Amino acid sequence: SMLRYKLIYFPIRGRGEVARQLFYLAGVPFKDDRITISEWSSLKAKTPFGQLPVLEVDGHQLAQSFAIFRYLAQEFGFAGDSPLEALWVDVTADQHKEYENKIKPALRFQGSEEEKEQLMRNVAEPARDKYFPLLEKIAEEHGSSGHFVGASLTWVDLLIAEHASILLKQFPGFLDRYPTVLAIVDAILSTPKLKEWLEKRPDTAF
Amino acid sequence: PVSTLAMPSYKLSEFDTRGLAEVSRQLFILSGTPYEDNRISKDQWPALKEKYGFGELPVLEVDGKQIPQSLAIARYLAKEFGFYGANAFEAAWIDALADQAKDFISDIHPYFAIAMGMVAGDTDKAKAEIALPAIKKHFDLFEKVAKDNGSNSHFVGSNFSYFDILISEFVFSIDSFLPGSFDAFPTVLAVRAKVTSIPAIKEWIEKRPKTVT
Repeated sequence: SMLRYKLIYFPIRGRGEVARQLFYLAGVPFKDDRITISEWSSLKAKTPFGQLPVLEVDGHQLAQSFAIFRYLAQEFGFAGDSPLEALWVDVTADQHKEYENKIKPALRFQGSEEEKEQLMRNVAEPARDKYFPLLEKIAEEHGSSGHFVGASLTWVDLLIAEHASILLKQFPGFLDRYPTVLAIVDAILSTPKLKEWLEKRPDTAF
Repeated sequence: PVSTLAMPSYKLSEFDTRGLAEVSRQLFILSGTPYEDNRISKDQWPALKEKYGFGELPVLEVDGKQIPQSLAIARYLAKEFGFYGANAFEAAWIDALADQAKDFISDIHPYFAIAMGMVAGDTDKAKAEIALPAIKKHFDLFEKVAKDNGSNSHFVGSNFSYFDILISEFVFSIDSFLPGSFDAFPTVLAVRAKVTSIPAIKEWIEKRPKTVT
């Protein structure tokens, strides 16, 4: 195959989706290699860190989702319009990752309704209320025209919009306190080329 | 001179600790860039916290504008000063390794919490069950990366990157708690030896405030 790029990941959105979106938005063809668990068990030892996603560029492998997103974003023009904007994209992404790591156990909890409610109240909501005001602040100081940082689409817009769209489906009301964030998410998800991808991408639960 | 006027003023605020902020300190030193090394004591922090818009440290001020997030700061400075690889793919590898190192910090953190008395627990048990497996898991990889790069005392490419500095500091901190932990990773140790042999860095290490982490 003459394709320069291959993205290896599981058949889910998860930590691969932003990369797929970047390829689609840039109009760059790539091999969207969605592998099975049994394929993974034989591939694992051949990856840099034994984890997915892995990006192959002309056969050279790159691991770690944010490093992959940042690399593709810089190649395709979705990393901010200046070094300082790129820095604020990185800052926002790192803040977002810290929040997501805190909130994941609560969101994914499968147990009694009561325990779930406690986790939401004691873990998820405080994590949300620590992060989202900072996100609003970043958007106000550094973003414009429906973006979190800068005046055009960046990979952190895609990262946050993907997360928010999961919340809106599974935990409606969870972000009601943050209408400015929701408005930016809405603007991002309405970007015509992205909307196209959202409509045609394989439908997976997460 | 015009060149001095064009250079931004830098102030790095952090607790009196090395941590990930130390990477940025050493980037300033390596590049010969003046900066203010602002150390805040734990007692001063509650009163100062409000002044820092993100409620956390470290914060880099560039011409008075505050920026949080230690690794984002390090990456920005590395790019500005030329410690970010020779091309975009090398830069991405440096970032990937730094993110992997962050995963390592998460994995080993529970051991440090116990060893430093912040959390109750059996230090020897934590060493065996948490610290040593975390070191083996991550440093087997880092050792391989350094070897695959040609055992040239750098993790990526042929020049110093912010990741070389980061690992050099990690090894130093962890070795003080667990001496000899890195004997199995000679190529990693060679990177540290090269970083610490740079005269400006050697001098800094000798005179910097001595902190546990």
